[in-house]
Amino acid sequence: MAAKSVGGQAPAAWLAIAGLLLVVAVPFAAVVMQGIFPELGQGSFANPFSSFVTTLNDGALIGMAGNTILLGCCVVLASAVVAVPLGVFRALYRVPGAALFDVLLLVPFMIPPYIATLGWIMTLQPRGYLQQLLGFNLASFLFSLAGMTMVMAFNTFPVVYFAVSRTVEAVGARYADVGRVFGATPARAFWRITLPLSAPGLAASLMLVFAAAIEEYGTPAALGRRAGFQVLVTGIDLRISDWPIDLPGASIMSLLLVGLSLLTFLGQRWILSRRSYQTVNGKPTAKDKRPLGVMKWPVLAAFIIVSFLATGVPLLSILATAMSRTISGGLALDNMSFDNFLSVFQNSAGALGALANSFSLGIGTALITGLIGVTAAYTVVKTKIRGRLAIDSLTIIPNALPGIVVAVGLILAWNMPWLPATPYNTPFILLLAYCCILLPQTMRYSTAAFQQIGDNLEAAARVFGASGITAFRRILLPLVFPSLASAMLLVFALASRELVASVVIAPVGMQTIATFIWRQFEQGSIGLGMAMAFIAILITTLLPLLLLALLRRSGLVAE
Amino acid sequence: MFKSLKSITLGAVAAVLMAGVAHADITVYTAGPQSLIDKMSEGFTKETGIKVNVFQATTGKVMARIEAEASNPVVDVLISASWDTASDFEKRGWLVKYSSPNAAKVPDFLKSDYAVAQGISALGIAWNTKSGTPKPSDWADLTKPEYKDMVNIPDPAQSGSSFELTAALAGQDDFKLFKDLQANGAIIAGANAEALNPVLQGAKAAVFGAVDYITLAAAKKGESVEVVFPASGTVIAPRPAMILNWSKNQDEAKKFIDYMLSDAGQKMVAAQMLMPARSDVAADRPLISDLKLLKFDNAAVYGKRKETLGEITKIFGGK
Repeated sequence: MAAKSVGGQAPAAWLAIAGLLLVVAVPFAAVVMQGIFPELGQGSFANPFSSFVTTLNDGALIGMAGNTILLGCCVVLASAVVAVPLGVFRALYRVPGAALFDVLLLVPFMIPPYIATLGWIMTLQPRGYLQQLLGFNLASFLFSLAGMTMVMAFNTFPVVYFAVSRTVEAVGARYADVGRVFGATPARAFWRITLPLSAPGLAASLMLVFAAAIEEYGTPAALGRRAGFQVLVTGIDLRISDWPIDLPGASIMSLLLVGLSLLTFLGQRWILSRRSYQTVNGKPTAKDKRPLGVMKWPVLAAFIIVSFLATGVPLLSILATAMSRTISGGLALDNMSFDNFLSVFQNSAGALGALANSFSLGIGTALITGLIGVTAAYTVVKTKIRGRLAIDSLTIIPNALPGIVVAVGLILAWNMPWLPATPYNTPFILLLAYCCILLPQTMRYSTAAFQQIGDNLEAAARVFGASGITAFRRILLPLVFPSLASAMLLVFALASRELVASVVIAPVGMQTIATFIWRQFEQGSIGLGMAMAFIAILITTLLPLLLLALLRRSGLVAE
Repeated sequence: MFKSLKSITLGAVAAVLMAGVAHADITVYTAGPQSLIDKMSEGFTKETGIKVNVFQATTGKVMARIEAEASNPVVDVLISASWDTASDFEKRGWLVKYSSPNAAKVPDFLKSDYAVAQGISALGIAWNTKSGTPKPSDWADLTKPEYKDMVNIPDPAQSGSSFELTAALAGQDDFKLFKDLQANGAIIAGANAEALNPVLQGAKAAVFGAVDYITLAAAKKGESVEVVFPASGTVIAPRPAMILNWSKNQDEAKKFIDYMLSDAGQKMVAAQMLMPARSDVAADRPLISDLKLLKFDNAAVYGKRKETLGEITKIFGGK
């Protein structure tokens, strides 16, 4: 294919570029400028680069960077160990109750990491729920690297599980069957054919997990500090929350994180660029799955244990805390009540407004990131436009920018006095922040989906006279839609609970679910905060499921 | 849902359009409790007709926002949880000189030409009454074997008042108390709320230097927790309110300070279990006159901030 490919790339590319510039490039440029010009906030360009020396000379920095990479690798490894086998079994075999397990393993997405961590602390610490029920505690395990890895892996492994089960399913048993026909053992067919062909989805999801782990703030802050384990994000937060505020130092440390993330991203690209992963080529595939046979009970047990640990423990702990009249009262029947839930529904402290705000913002974010993500992914994978790598890199940056730095970047960019109109101090600034932070999700999922679609499908449509736009709309979009839809649902869930950026950037007088919960915790009303968290988790789980069911009925998404 | 999205959109568009028209609203950034500022702005609006826009977060987050906004600031009134920020802003020349007529009954050490306290919190020992440990009466009690592994210390790097307590106590005996605490298994456990939570559940018995009003409010709700003000003395944290010099609504901002120090405003402060700034307003809790205060040289303590925090990190270590 020559420089001009078959696609209708021009409109898609322009839309993607415009969206990316607005959503990602503007705040990122502000962060870079802040790092270079320490007095940017006052509108001055004095003393360029002076902060680099002091920030990079800090002896603790190397330790923090090392800890960050270590934690990221541990979480990736733990997530893969838990998720890959489950995902493969789910894709190739008939697992009893598969649909139910899909829902149960979806819930950890919906539990905000800081809430899950608090749930684990209240369960495992001395006199926690575990000790109240069974008489022992696991505090020394929880407040360690292993404990941190466990909590974070249980929060992120669904990314890998769903990516693996979907891509392996798409690869199907067909290619492996060909291998079997030519004499490969089942294990050999799996390792040499099915797994390598599923690599785009697996690599993309592992990279998302790594980026999420090095960018995560809540868990390392709550568990790591006690284990003396400082990571870059907690270091960045300290520079911002400790007077005098060191914005330039925080920006420079964020750039380090971005660098780390870009490196993993380039590594992933390198792995994927060595061969073709196109498996969707318009030929019919057999959809039936094999029976598990003797493996039925062990596999079922694994699904049950993982679901219980990832979903059951945090949810039960959140529920127990929300229902306790007093925390010191513990798990006693006379200490249980629905008062906290009633307070939420009676709109105490603006709870209902916070719910409405967050869900509206979540829907808006899902739509915008879906549109930018799918056009950008198409531009990168299916067109030969120059600067594709730049577009691709731009969508990876937010993955590594800590939320609080995105917030500071947005304020710096949009609060400049000469701007005639600005989204700052309106709800749109939160929309911009969420789109920036979550764009990588839709982008990564759509990219992986496009990589599996053969070029000949679009070419065939063009041969039969479809315009570029028609081919995109009628052929490509329906094929990537399942991946895109699940990424958008994920974005909805993540946006409606975003905390770190919201706390700094929320317009005056506006609350979101996360800032509401956070304020309740700060004031010691843990029960009310947990009741809100429980309600939010329920809604963010049920709403997407309902939507998916509707889409399935209308035939837009396959089973 | 789509309806509320629509209304948000409309509201936002309206807000942008109105921005050039509407005056007389004031914007308050506060590190105080949300419910306090909610009640105070409601009462203020009722009395004066001036609307109040509120942004509430921790002192650190509020400061980060002001710092990032500095080229085009929007805040009129700032209420911080640390007097240090008032001194710092005064030095930068960011504050407006104002003495409210209602501040006459505020003791001199709780006001300056540029700032006046809204209320005061003190640090104490938050102790779980059902923890099975004896009730502590002084800081040093927490180094006894009964409290082995049972003490949380709020991070002095994350809270101004915790830092002042640490510096004042460390200055008396060259960090011996903190070395003893560490030897007894005490740990640094995040910011204030994070340090208190395990004490409520019973994982820990006591917080060394807890913010009193949060603990008092928890006790009022029925939690089995009590605040002990140590016999050898403690530190207080006045919460300064100040008017920023870039404010275009300085007259309205001054009215807000007046209302904050009025009888009604100070009663709201007391209802949050904070000490009112005015000495003639009653509160259902120990007041400054009931507390013994540690003596320390503020300027010297903040001058050595980095060294003090470094020493604490070294003692509790592991980084």
